[in-house]
Amino acid sequence: MEQPRGKTGWTEVTEPGPGRPGFGASDRRPRAAALRLLSTMTQAEIKLCSLLLQEHFGEIVEKIGVHLIRTGSQPLRVIAHDTGTSLDQVKKALCVLIQHNLVIYQVHKRGVVEYEAQCSRVLRMLRYPRYIYTAKTLYSDTGELIVEELLLNGKMTMSAVVKKVADRLTETMEDGKTMDYAEVSNTFVRLADTHFVQRCPFVPATENSDPGPPPPAPTLVINEKDMYLVPKLSLIGKGKRRRSSDEDATGEPKAKRPKHTADNKEPIPDDGIYWQANLDRFHQHFRDQGIVSAVANRMDQTSSEIVRTMLRMSEITTPSNAPFTQPLSSNEIFRSLPVGYNISKQVLDQYLTLLADDPLEFVGKSGDSGGGMYVINLHKALGSLATATLESVVQERFGSRCARIFRLVLQKKHLEQKQVEDFAMIPAKEAKDMLYKMLSENFISLQEIPKTPDHAPSRTFYLYTVNILSAARMLLHRCYKSIANLIERRQFETKENKRLLEKSQRVEAIIASMQATGAEEAQLQEIEEMITAPERQQLETLKRNVNKLDASEIQVDETIFLLESYIESTMKRQ
Amino acid sequence: MAGNKGRGRAAYTFNIEAVGFSRGEKLPDVVLKPPPLFPDTDYKPVPLRTGEGEDYMLALKQELRETMKRMPYFMETPEEKQDIERYSKRYMKVYKEEWIPDWRRLPREMMPTKKCKKAGPKSKKAKVTGQGTSLTNPADVLKKIEELEKRGDGEKSDEENEEKEGSKEKSKEGDDDEEDDAAEQEEYDEEEQEEENDYINSYFEDGDDFGADSDDNMDEATY
Repeated sequence: MEQPRGKTGWTEVTEPGPGRPGFGASDRRPRAAALRLLSTMTQAEIKLCSLLLQEHFGEIVEKIGVHLIRTGSQPLRVIAHDTGTSLDQVKKALCVLIQHNLVIYQVHKRGVVEYEAQCSRVLRMLRYPRYIYTAKTLYSDTGELIVEELLLNGKMTMSAVVKKVADRLTETMEDGKTMDYAEVSNTFVRLADTHFVQRCPFVPATENSDPGPPPPAPTLVINEKDMYLVPKLSLIGKGKRRRSSDEDATGEPKAKRPKHTADNKEPIPDDGIYWQANLDRFHQHFRDQGIVSAVANRMDQTSSEIVRTMLRMSEITTPSNAPFTQPLSSNEIFRSLPVGYNISKQVLDQYLTLLADDPLEFVGKSGDSGGGMYVINLHKALGSLATATLESVVQERFGSRCARIFRLVLQKKHLEQKQVEDFAMIPAKEAKDMLYKMLSENFISLQEIPKTPDHAPSRTFYLYTVNILSAARMLLHRCYKSIANLIERRQFETKENKRLLEKSQRVEAIIASMQATGAEEAQLQEIEEMITAPERQQLETLKRNVNKLDASEIQVDETIFLLESYIESTMKRQ
Repeated sequence: MAGNKGRGRAAYTFNIEAVGFSRGEKLPDVVLKPPPLFPDTDYKPVPLRTGEGEDYMLALKQELRETMKRMPYFMETPEEKQDIERYSKRYMKVYKEEWIPDWRRLPREMMPTKKCKKAGPKSKKAKVTGQGTSLTNPADVLKKIEELEKRGDGEKSDEENEEKEGSKEKSKEGDDDEEDDAAEQEEYDEEEQEEENDYINSYFEDGDDFGADSDDNMDEATY
């Protein structure tokens, strides 16, 4: 059974692997690598990464990516040798992975370049729909498409993004209307100002006075102040519609592949300045969303609005991984409340006091000046959210009586068997059964307290306790497994119905081409009837199932986000 | 130590009642197989959340999946032969735009080693002058051969050729050679030998020993 990560999440590499000195092709690895700390990826995570890479980039990229995730940092030729892939294909795969920020490279001694996979970044691919949808809610369709293009392409120059998005938006507009580049640029600038997109590290411009041979790989740099600096571009133009003759459904397939033709001859004004989506900023937004909705559920709309205001004010002043926000005075909060929120100062103060007194401790009072200084306890909030997730899982899996016991142990921290039965008011036999069930699934753990130095079992206290961090890790691991199962099941369903799906696609293609060449209604009807009624039924069922599986993936990912945020926040404080 | 077992009878080292079994009671059977693959659940899972946001994200997810497959980053594995040739395959071919990475941001070993196509005169030579190690000489050979073919029995020197090609490259942006397979040295030589021409098969860079088997048109190749 896979072991979840150890307490610290870091393990020293102790077992031999392909990269250790003295083993196989990697003899040239320096001794220091043997002692390097690697973060272990569990089997579940690796499996999930494999499925994601395969769905998005194909099998070759998947093979290279998974190999790197498993073995850590490796040079080019070792990868090719160990995976049995041709050098050219490995290079292409690495280019794709580097482009999408999934792999980074580092130059080691003697000019050897090593490539390392960013495992957790691969898992972020699950969250792309959420990022894009968030951009839509904040910056409407233009923002949505900008973020989508950046995620689909890994990194792009601003001019390329603006052009592509303008073209796409123009496609959706009515005939005769086009989207102006300036409007798209404005949205891009707003995204950069609010840090949702950021500049990629770039190749520093060096004077060519260096007489030696160029380095095997460029060193990319970026500093804080440049990260959100938008280059001064004057992008003038409008989006272009794709003409119908370009579409492949009609006419002969092209003899030549479509290339970037005439446009490439123009010099790119911001050449070399690439942008990427800033996932951390999105995560900060999700975290804020989670806290606000938790407050809304626990208290009321007005309280949640106050908390939202406080979080908004802290966006720029507080780094995203701080345990609590900078203190805000009640006066400041009052001034920053959204327009149209007509609560008086006294009412605001009452709400703030209520929030600060709440046992969940989302809001804390840190002083009395300025009408009262208040902070949001980000770490505590994340902890509460993670705990609530655990409680909810226990309730849904084991029933509400089990959940009662779980909450009890959480609250009292350590309880003996007898005490659990008494406090929970549940008969002994059932209580034992439930406790053991939760124990076997690692929601609850046992703490031994020996009375005598010889640790004799008959003279030892056994206390039940909930270790939130390890329970969260366990649940996270299960989430990864769940999503892997969901993806596999979806692929299985699709494969089972492959013949039918292909038939339906062919029929659609034929109908489309017939429509383009102007066929009659009766003919189209005939073609449509090629798919029989039971087959249509089967297709409907398939679609329903696939939708359900997809939706489940998205919602499990929300739990993953919560748990990961909590674990990360806790690790930072240790 | 904890002492002997009581004359052959098992005695627990702890109070069995604490665990919930009364003394002398039959303990449950030991389970000798792994837990079932699809265990029965007592409680049905909570239904999924629905709503506008969820629907939109679902549609987005499915669209993204399809779009990704059409992007140039999706590396297709070569397809097995189809059992039947289908007419509609023609209408469903997706033409992928080519993607050329920004080589300035990548390690130099990432650039594919070039094998020149006969049809493409302007094949890309990587920045050879600095590198010197990985680029194959046959690449230079074929290119030079083609240049010379084109110019007929040109009198141009090789250095001039190199300069011209260097500057042509810098102005060019894309190329069609991204998808060439890596040319192994051996394979390459074979191909060269297959081509019907009078030119020598081996050629050396400046400074290396130059074999004396030159043919008529190779006067200029001695720098």
